[in-house]
Amino acid sequence: MNGLKRVVITGSGIYSALGFTPGELFDNLAAGRSAIVRGGEEEDFLPTAPASRDPERFRVLPRTLRRAMAPSACFTAMAGLAAMRDSGLSQDELLALNAGCAVGSTMGSVSTLREGYSLVLSGQSDRLSPMHFFKCASHTTAFNLARTLGLNGAIYSPCSACASGLQSMGLGAALISAGQETVMFCGGADETGSEVSGSFALMYAHAPAEGDLAESSRPFSAHRKGLVCGEGAAVFCLEEYDHAVRRGAKIYGEIVGYSSNSGGNGLSQSDAPAIARCMADTCASAGIAPADIDYISAHATSTLQGDAAEAAAIREVFGSGVPVSSLKGHLGHTLGASGPLEMAAVFEMARHGILIPTRNLDEIDPACAGIDHVTELREKRIRIFFKNSFAFGGINASLICKLNV
Amino acid sequence: MNLTRDEIIEAVNGALVNEMELDPADLAPDKTFFEDLGLDSLDMVDLMIGLQRKFGISLRENEEIKQVRTLGDVYDFFEKNQAMLTAQAEAAKAAAQAAQSQPPKE
Repeated sequence: MNGLKRVVITGSGIYSALGFTPGELFDNLAAGRSAIVRGGEEEDFLPTAPASRDPERFRVLPRTLRRAMAPSACFTAMAGLAAMRDSGLSQDELLALNAGCAVGSTMGSVSTLREGYSLVLSGQSDRLSPMHFFKCASHTTAFNLARTLGLNGAIYSPCSACASGLQSMGLGAALISAGQETVMFCGGADETGSEVSGSFALMYAHAPAEGDLAESSRPFSAHRKGLVCGEGAAVFCLEEYDHAVRRGAKIYGEIVGYSSNSGGNGLSQSDAPAIARCMADTCASAGIAPADIDYISAHATSTLQGDAAEAAAIREVFGSGVPVSSLKGHLGHTLGASGPLEMAAVFEMARHGILIPTRNLDEIDPACAGIDHVTELREKRIRIFFKNSFAFGGINASLICKLNV
Repeated sequence: MNLTRDEIIEAVNGALVNEMELDPADLAPDKTFFEDLGLDSLDMVDLMIGLQRKFGISLRENEEIKQVRTLGDVYDFFEKNQAMLTAQAEAAKAAAQAAQSQPPKE
């Protein structure tokens, strides 16, 4: 980051299909568990990786908050509350700091959109709840997080589909780095539904419901047939370094590099040269040589073209010397949540000194070869890690985090 | 809609307990929605939408329902107006069916 201030992460919270705390998520990932099951009608019976939508879980949120929340916002609020508790910052301190947030999702809430247009198209628009807008607005995850934590600072919601979460992290880091903010809660969230998974299926980019569904998401594999949509949320507390040190906060790591770009004409196809440029720019923004990165948490969603493009870009920028894995074989593609959620897993990998392998990577696709694929649990000290997120519309985003600061 | 007062109370209170998560013990006729029960104007719209569905009526254009302050006001409103509301809803339904059966205009 080339700003005035250093930016550190001082709180972490998640809500996922494989755990409600980073530790629980790590244990399930390390055990090789998959969250993928057969979807119902709402997912067009495609494989899916659902997080719990049990209303009882969300009862910790007061009704006055919950009434404006669809599952995507509930996931965010749960993760955000955990991040706030973890940060050690009280609500009064956050108010005094004018703390803000940046959280994005793919399309607000697909389940609420569906409920809404079902009523409108059947001539029952007078039955729409006044809460409908608040549940499915594109920035629902962000303002509902702000309401939950009582944040009175800036609310941003970068909605860039599967890069929403990582772009939110980058935005929050840039604002703190520039001296405009002291504390920002940043992350991403999403919920599954056929409006999303069906779109991938139409493009032949979704894995079919056949065979052992736990093996249906296979990043970098020669046998991959497409991605599987998942859901969940992750929120981090980003804080200006000196402020964190002064209050004696626990520091997970420092965001030292971030970059986002596009190929200029992207729709659904990944652009390897643009991805490579994004990753190289991120290293440059951190002042870190690619060879100094200890681990790359890949975006790799298990699509034919996307995984090959990312592998080609990693090959070009990092060569074969940096371990790479994707968590989408376990969690599916959690869309807007994926960047921050997978980062939460990496912090746990670093704490344990263990890299989680790419699940279902039994035979590496030759188009994805030439990089150091992690195919089984591997002991490794992570001092600096790299995170990728890409999205439809030609959006690329990369972030570098340095631990032990 | 042809309900006794007790049935109206049961339906309205049921909506308040299920939708607004209020304690049944708090639901006395003299309780005001905003001050005593802690609801706001958006909750009131949601409550009315739920009652519309439950009773098969339309309250959207009704001015009197917008003036209610206490739980007792709502019981009174439905007790007093149920015949009129039912007639209105049936007339609206008949009009919609008639409109659907009209041949499309060129």
